[in-house]
Amino acid sequence: MVEVYRHDVVIVGGGGAGLRAAIAAVEADPKVSVAMVSKVYPMRSHTVSAEGGAAAYVPGSDDSLEKHAYDTVKGSDFLADQDCVDYFVEQATPELTRLEHWGCPWSRNDDGSVATRPFGGMTVPRTWFAADKVGFHMLHTLFQHSMRFERIVRYDENFVTKLLVDDGAVRGVVAVDIRSGAMRLFVGRAVILATGGAGKCFPFTTNGTIKTGDGMALAYRAGVGLKDMEFVQYHPTGLPGTGILITEASRGEGGYVLNSEGERFLVTRDYGVGQKAELGPRDMISRAEILEIEAGRGIKGPYGDYVLLDLRHLGEAKIMAKLPFVRELARTYVGVDPVYEPIPIRPVLHYMMGGVDTDLRGATPVPGLYAAGEVASVSINGSNRLGSNSLTECLVFGARAGVEAVAFARAAGTGNEARLRAEAEGEGARLDALRGRKKGGEKLSHIRREMQLAMERGCGVYRDQAAMQQAVAELAPLKGRYADLALEDTSQVFNTELLQGLELGNMLDVAEAIAVAAAARRESRGAHACRDFPKRNDREFLHHSMVFFTPSGPRLEKKAVTITRFQPEERKY
Amino acid sequence: MARPANPHAMAPSRPGPTRTAPPQVPDDFWTRPRMRTYLLFDATGVVYLCVGLVALRVAWALAAGPDAWQALMTSFSHPLYVAFHALALAAALFVGVRFFRLFPKAQPARIGPAKPPPRPVLQAMLYAAWGAITLGLLVVLGGIWPS
Amino acid sequence: MSDVKKRTFVVTRFDPDRDQVPKTQSYEVPCRPDWKVLDALNFIKDEIDATLSHRWSCRMAVCGSCGMNVNGEPKLTCKTSLEDYGDTVEVAPLSNFPIIRDLVIDMDGFMEKFRAVKPWIIAAKQRAVEEGTYRQSPEQLAAFKQFSMCINCMLCYAACPVVSQEPEFLGPAAIALGHRYNMDSRDEGQPERNAVFRGEGTVFNCSYANECSEVCPKNVDPAAAINQAKLNAVIDWATSFVVRREK
Repeated sequence: MVEVYRHDVVIVGGGGAGLRAAIAAVEADPKVSVAMVSKVYPMRSHTVSAEGGAAAYVPGSDDSLEKHAYDTVKGSDFLADQDCVDYFVEQATPELTRLEHWGCPWSRNDDGSVATRPFGGMTVPRTWFAADKVGFHMLHTLFQHSMRFERIVRYDENFVTKLLVDDGAVRGVVAVDIRSGAMRLFVGRAVILATGGAGKCFPFTTNGTIKTGDGMALAYRAGVGLKDMEFVQYHPTGLPGTGILITEASRGEGGYVLNSEGERFLVTRDYGVGQKAELGPRDMISRAEILEIEAGRGIKGPYGDYVLLDLRHLGEAKIMAKLPFVRELARTYVGVDPVYEPIPIRPVLHYMMGGVDTDLRGATPVPGLYAAGEVASVSINGSNRLGSNSLTECLVFGARAGVEAVAFARAAGTGNEARLRAEAEGEGARLDALRGRKKGGEKLSHIRREMQLAMERGCGVYRDQAAMQQAVAELAPLKGRYADLALEDTSQVFNTELLQGLELGNMLDVAEAIAVAAAARRESRGAHACRDFPKRNDREFLHHSMVFFTPSGPRLEKKAVTITRFQPEERKY
Repeated sequence: MARPANPHAMAPSRPGPTRTAPPQVPDDFWTRPRMRTYLLFDATGVVYLCVGLVALRVAWALAAGPDAWQALMTSFSHPLYVAFHALALAAALFVGVRFFRLFPKAQPARIGPAKPPPRPVLQAMLYAAWGAITLGLLVVLGGIWPS
Repeated sequence: MSDVKKRTFVVTRFDPDRDQVPKTQSYEVPCRPDWKVLDALNFIKDEIDATLSHRWSCRMAVCGSCGMNVNGEPKLTCKTSLEDYGDTVEVAPLSNFPIIRDLVIDMDGFMEKFRAVKPWIIAAKQRAVEEGTYRQSPEQLAAFKQFSMCINCMLCYAACPVVSQEPEFLGPAAIALGHRYNMDSRDEGQPERNAVFRGEGTVFNCSYANECSEVCPKNVDPAAAINQAKLNAVIDWATSFVVRREK
C-alpha cells in the first residue's frame, strides 16, 4: 500500500538551500507545484546552527567581485571551478538583498546600511551578519517567507529512502512517513537534493544528529559521482567534548588563539597565515592547533587536548553586542564566561567541501536531478571553504537549482507510474523486513561508533597513507556487519531506530567514499593534509576526485578543474 | 504522573494519520508556586465582584434615607465587614504590586514617535501615581478638604 | 570515570499500536557530571532500550527540537544540566500537546497557529533588488530583535495555562512572532495581523500568567509581546474608524 503524491518539482531537504529553491521555483512559474520533503520540520534544519555570517560584495565599498572571487579561489587552494565562482560572487549581493527584503534582521551600521565584519581568508570585510546567529535568522526568514506560497506543499518528517530513475531521468522519490510508517511515492518531473552534509560520519563534529549524508548516498546509489569527498573541513574553534561550534566571527571581531603558554602562536610562529593571524583560512589554523598540541603546548582535558580562544580583551559590551550567543554557549556547555576567561577550543569536523557532482546550474549528470547547498559540490569551495561563503552558496545555488528544475519539469514527462509504484512497494518491503529485525548480532549504536572512530583515525586534520588505507580496510567489513543489524523497535509509529538504521547505511556509503578518495590523493591541498606528501602537486593532482558506486566497491575517476582568471600559485597569506 | 488537560488543546484542524494520546499536564501543574500566585491574582476578581456588590448596597442605603444610611455605617464596624475590607485592601496591594512589576514590559518600544521611559522610572511613576491618588481620595473622602 | 553517578529516569512511553494510554518506564543510567538530560536519553536509546523515540538535533539549544517536561517543567533537554537534579528524573512529553509516541508530540496544531499570524513581510509594493536593502537603524532593529529570537521550541505552549484550557488561543510563540513583524520597520501588515490578533484565538485570551516568559530558553519574553500586541490591536481597532484602509 503506497500513497502517491504528484507534484512538478520535489525538493528533498528543507534547510537554507531547499527553502530557497522552493521559493525560486514558485516565483519562476505561477502554476508550478512544489513538494518539500524533509525528515525534520524545516526550522530544525542544521542551517539554523550557523553563526558567523554570509559573504557578499557590499555596493559602494572598496570591495569588488574580483576580490571576492580571488579570495574564494585562493581559499580553495585553486581547486574551485572558477566559472562557478564568478557566478557565485555575482549573485551573492542580490541574494542577500532579497533575504533582507524578506525580513532578515541583518545587523546595521548607524546610518541604517547593512554592517559587515572581517572573516577568515577574506581580504576585505564582506561578511553580512545578524549578531552571531546568522544561520538561525536566515533559516527562519526563509521558512516564514516560504509559508506565504500555498503551492509549496510541505511533507514534514518524511524520510526519503530512494531516488527513482526511470527511462533515463529522475521521476521522483520514495519516502517513509516517519509518523505513520506509511510508504509514499512522490512523483516529480524534477528532484532537487538539499539535504546537507555528513558530519555525523565523524565522532567529534559541530553537526547535529540529522547530518547523515542522506542526499549524497541517494545520488551516489543512483549513479551520480561524488566529487572531492576527501576534503572535509575542520573548524578551528569547537568546544571540547560536545564539538559545539564557536563561530569564526569571534576571531573576526578580534579574538586571539593561545597555546598553553599564553602565546599567540599564529603570530609568533610560522604557520603560513602571515599577517592574517587568527583570520587565516580554517584549514591552516586547524593544522596549526594540532601541531601546537603535538609539540606539547596544548592543555590536557577530559576530552582530549585543547588550546584557548581569548575574547577577554574585547570587553563585555562588544561581546554582548556582537557575540552574545558565543557567551551563552561557553557558559552553558563548558562553564566558562568568555568575558573573564579564555574558551577551550580544538579543531572539530564541520563542513564537507565535497558532495554530489553538479555544475553551475545545480544540475547533476542525471537528467532531472539537481542539488544545492552543502550536499552539492559545484565546486566553489574546492579543497577548503572560506567561512561565510556557504550560507551565501545555499541561497545562490538553491535559487538557481529551483529555476532550472522548473524549466526542466516543464518539458519532462512523468515516467511509468506503474514501475515507480512497484519500486516504492519494494522499498516498503525492504523497510518492513528491517523494522524490529531481531535476528542479527550487531548493535546499531556500536557499528556507528566504530565507523566514526575509523574516520577520525583515518581522515583527521593530518592524515597519512597507512591510516587512510586502514580506514578503508575497516569500513568494508563494517558494511558487512551492518547487513547483520539487529533492531528492537517493531512499531510503525515514529520509529526512530529504523530511521537511525537507514541513516547509518547512508553514512557508511559516504564514509567509504571519503576514505577512498582521501587515500588516492597523494598530495596535500587545502583541507587534505597528508604527512606522506606534504606538498601540493599541481602536475599530478590538479583535478577533482570523483567516486562512483559499483556493487563491488567505489570506483575512482578524475574530473578537470575549470581555471579561467586565476592561475594556481603558492598559497601564502 | 499526569492527567489530561482540555482534550482539544493544541489539536490540529484535521487529525493526523495515527492515533494520539490526549494532551497531559503534570499533576502539580496548577499547584506549583508560580501558578498558585497567578491563580490567586486572577481569583481576586471574586473580591472585586464582592466590592462591587457592597458598593451597590451603599448606593441603595444612600437613596433609602438617613436612617438606612446610619444603620449601614454602624454595620460596617462588624468584624466580618472589617475583615472583608482588609481582604479587599490586601488583594488590591497584591494585584497592584504584581501588575506594576509586569506592566513595563507590556509597553511597545514606541507608539508613533513616543517612547516609554525606562523600566525603573516607569515603575516609580506608577507607584507615585498610586500613592497620590490614594492620598487624594483619603483627603477628599475623609473630609479634610474641601473643608 | 569515578564521578559517574547512577540516576533513575522515569520516562513516559506510548505506542498507539500497543498502548491504550501512556505509561512510564524506568531506566538506570550511569551519568557523567557534565551531562545534560538529552545525553541520558541518548544513552538509553543507544545502550539500553532502542525503542525509545524522542526528537533532537543540534544539541546546542538553537533548533528547538528537544523540548520535554523534566520533573514537570518544560525544558530544552539539550540545555538542562543533570547537576540540578537528584537521583530520580522524570521525563515526559511537553504538556498541552497530543502525544504521537513516547516523548514525541504532535506539533501540527502549532504550525497552523504559527502560519495564522502571517509571519512574513507584508508590503504594498515589492522592493526591487536593484534598489538595495531597506535602511533600518540599529534602534529600529532593536524594536523587534528580541521577538525574532524564538526557536519554536514550544515550551511556552506547554507552560501556558490558557493554552491548556482554550484550544483556539493563538499562543505565546505565534503572537510574539506576529508582533515581531508588526514592529519591523519594513512591514506594512499591521492592520491584517491586528485583525488576526482580535479574531479567533484572540490575544485577549491571555491573562498575563507570565509562565511563557519564565520558561523561554531564549529570553524572547513572549508575555511582553502579547501584552504589547494587545495595546497595538486596540489602537489599530480604534484608528480603523478614523483612517480609511485599503483591503
